[in-house]
Amino acid sequence: MAATAHNRATIPAQADAGAANGVFKIGLGLGVVGLAGVGGAFAVDHKQAYFSWLTAFAFYTTIALGGLFFTMLHHLVRATWSTPLRRAAENLAANLPLMAVLFIPIVIGMHDLYHWSHAEAVEGDPILKGKAGYLSPTFWIVRAVIYLAVWNVLAWFFRRTSLRQDETGDVGLTFKMRKMAPAGVLAFALTISFAGFDWLMSLNPHWFSTIFGVYVFAGATMSMFAVLALTALWLTNRGGLGNSLTIDNVHDVGKLMFGFIVFWTYIAFSQYYLIWYGNIPEETVWYKVRLENGWQWYSRLLAVGHFALPFWVLMSRHAKRNRLVLGITAVWLLVMHFLDHYLLVSPTLHDHGPHPATLWMDAAAMLGIGGLFVAFYARRFTKAAALPARDPQLAAALEYDNA
Amino acid sequence: MATPTSQETVFPPPLVEGGHTFGSVTDAICGVVEKPTSNGWKAAFTAALAGLALFGVSVGYLIWEGTGIWGLNNPVAWGWAIVNFVFWVGIGHAGTLISAILFLFRQKWRTSINRFAEAMTIFAVICALTFPTIHVGRVWLLYWAMPIPNQMGLWPNFRSPLLWDVFAVSTYFTVSLLFWFVGLVPDLATLRDRAKTKIAHTLYGMASLGWRGANRHWQNYERAYLILAGLSTPLVLSVHTIVSFDFAVSVVPGWHTTIFPPYFVAGAIFSGFAMVLTLAIPARKVFGLQDFITVRHIENMNKIILVTGMMVGYAYAMEFFIAWYSQSAYESFAFVNRAFGPYAWAYWIMVSCNVITPQLFWFKKIRTNVGLSFILSIFVNIGMWFERFVITMSLHRDFLPSAWDYYSPTIWDITTFVGTFGLFFTLFLLFLRFLPAVAIAEVKGVMPQANPHWEGYHQHSDAAHGTTAGHGDKVHG
Repeated sequence: MAATAHNRATIPAQADAGAANGVFKIGLGLGVVGLAGVGGAFAVDHKQAYFSWLTAFAFYTTIALGGLFFTMLHHLVRATWSTPLRRAAENLAANLPLMAVLFIPIVIGMHDLYHWSHAEAVEGDPILKGKAGYLSPTFWIVRAVIYLAVWNVLAWFFRRTSLRQDETGDVGLTFKMRKMAPAGVLAFALTISFAGFDWLMSLNPHWFSTIFGVYVFAGATMSMFAVLALTALWLTNRGGLGNSLTIDNVHDVGKLMFGFIVFWTYIAFSQYYLIWYGNIPEETVWYKVRLENGWQWYSRLLAVGHFALPFWVLMSRHAKRNRLVLGITAVWLLVMHFLDHYLLVSPTLHDHGPHPATLWMDAAAMLGIGGLFVAFYARRFTKAAALPARDPQLAAALEYDNA
Repeated sequence: MATPTSQETVFPPPLVEGGHTFGSVTDAICGVVEKPTSNGWKAAFTAALAGLALFGVSVGYLIWEGTGIWGLNNPVAWGWAIVNFVFWVGIGHAGTLISAILFLFRQKWRTSINRFAEAMTIFAVICALTFPTIHVGRVWLLYWAMPIPNQMGLWPNFRSPLLWDVFAVSTYFTVSLLFWFVGLVPDLATLRDRAKTKIAHTLYGMASLGWRGANRHWQNYERAYLILAGLSTPLVLSVHTIVSFDFAVSVVPGWHTTIFPPYFVAGAIFSGFAMVLTLAIPARKVFGLQDFITVRHIENMNKIILVTGMMVGYAYAMEFFIAWYSQSAYESFAFVNRAFGPYAWAYWIMVSCNVITPQLFWFKKIRTNVGLSFILSIFVNIGMWFERFVITMSLHRDFLPSAWDYYSPTIWDITTFVGTFGLFFTLFLLFLRFLPAVAIAEVKGVMPQANPHWEGYHQHSDAAHGTTAGHGDKVHG
């Protein structure tokens, strides 16, 4: 395809609206079913329900944040190849308003989730007392509002500017987005780190790890690439854009997904290894819970499933270019992304061993938030072009081949 | 909108300036090697040799007398030797990042600077390796660090990160050297074919391994290059990760923190790019390589310095925040002591040079100003040396206040460190004199002429085919 230069006016950029609408409806239906399950969960065991909700919330928020990161990174490094995939990333980030709404139950359930939010617990605990200036309910809510506001403003700015370029074709808009990207990435790095501390690390308020923010970021980016790969596969197949987007574009997403499998492993291993080697009780306590009484099997599965297995599968160029293999691996990685967050959240509640009996509540929350997440995501492909149609770099990016 | 609206400017400008043809590229880069030795080079080389002599004397006296000649004291059993080791090994990382990671990311601008940066890597790692070597005290027993089977059943301590260093750094050195050499082969063949003297012809001929520029040679070359790039990429991360383990696997406050591995890697790349700029900015001027190492290259490197500098700043901030958040008295003390204790002067030099001054690179005017870039790169070099010094000096106030002591270097610490610059520049000047400082064949590959559909020359058959690296008709060996 390299020889026949795309004429920008003729690039098909609109996904099949019928197919996207189908996904929207299915997502909405599953979401309603899931939310009904969540309602049931709250009736049975509201404390567990909040933990399940937090797990699912963290799972989907990190994916949306990955979309925001990818969008800004594209502009920051002035990439060309990623132009056709940018709209999908923008659409993922556009789910952040939804995530802001879905955060409300976590505020309501704060006292069930976070030990430090109880004044009487802080009173008798010199360590919690010492950090009460940071871990206080009011300041925690203020910070959450700041994080969500920053993300939403950034997501809104980049998507709206990009959509405006679809209409006007103004090259200046590209420069405008590039200008915003560095400050955006900077704000993103700080907010995702502290959100990780606030929402996940502070579940165990005594425990601390300086790398934790990077850990959250690594998982967010890897899972986003998995969703991006699935989206690209869908667009080239049911989405009806197989003539614009090719396997060469998909291949690159596979490469980065592979890269971030390794990056996540590197960060996860660094954290585990240094804590294991140092062997200081105040640090090892976090892993001790996760390596005993049955949790060790979940942890081992994470090591194999989040690293060893996909690493060997995706190493081959043929695997990354095979739609079936790439698609199955992406789905598998999303399952592992769930396991990762399940292991971050759930052992706080079940520190004497896993409770598989409550897994249905986690599944309901995943389905409930996930159905809405997918529905809103799919809906955007019916509203606007699936590729940034008049981006000046689109033609060059589509001609790119990985041969 | 004030921004330009021409469509061309969305895409980056050309990588080679000055309207070069393939032939003039070869002439310009080979010319540096082929011209008679300049007085400037001789003067610089003499100074470097003097530094090397100083290094020899310092190391000789150290081996004769022992590490007592250094300023080490009881809580501070690691002094400048570990600081200098980490400083030099960190510098190497930019070379590997440019040659391996930027290659995998298809960042074509890397071709003008990779040869240069890889040479810097190799020489920096040589300087780095001298410090653990001489720090062992009895250097003649250094082979004990290797797991060599022996009748006493004695083995090195595999749980020690210092042993992992031996493997990590020696692997790094080997792979970097191989990578550098593989990239050099086509260019060595070019020098061979242009050689005017018998001895140059023979020596470049031997080094170029019979390269004739045949299709099959290029295919094997490209494949080997890609494989080596793939193998070197994890090394960029692993080497400085292991170096960070030297500190972080301990339980010393200020050393034992989980962010150390990525933080050290970011810092290494940061310092390495600064060193590339420090070396490249004068060299491009002296040897007239401005058409290849353009302002765009300098700007790109400045951007990487800005990004990695912020990563380092992020790590400083996280360490400080978590030290407080942990509510561990020892952690908090270690960081407050860094910023306000006896070594506060070093801490604030570090913060100023690594976090504050690189912020100037937010401005395009400064990023594209060659002189300012040079000055700021030196600030980074200084700041990153001090970072390792600040980290190492966590030792000076450990858990036992009665053992607290202030560390100062002796004259021998200083001469050894200054001497490594002599060693480094001796090797680097030899490299500039006898090997092509810019990858000739690779630079041609990113010029518009390399596109098979290019129709630029009026009579392009002659110029486009005549001067690729290595000639098919000159069979050698």
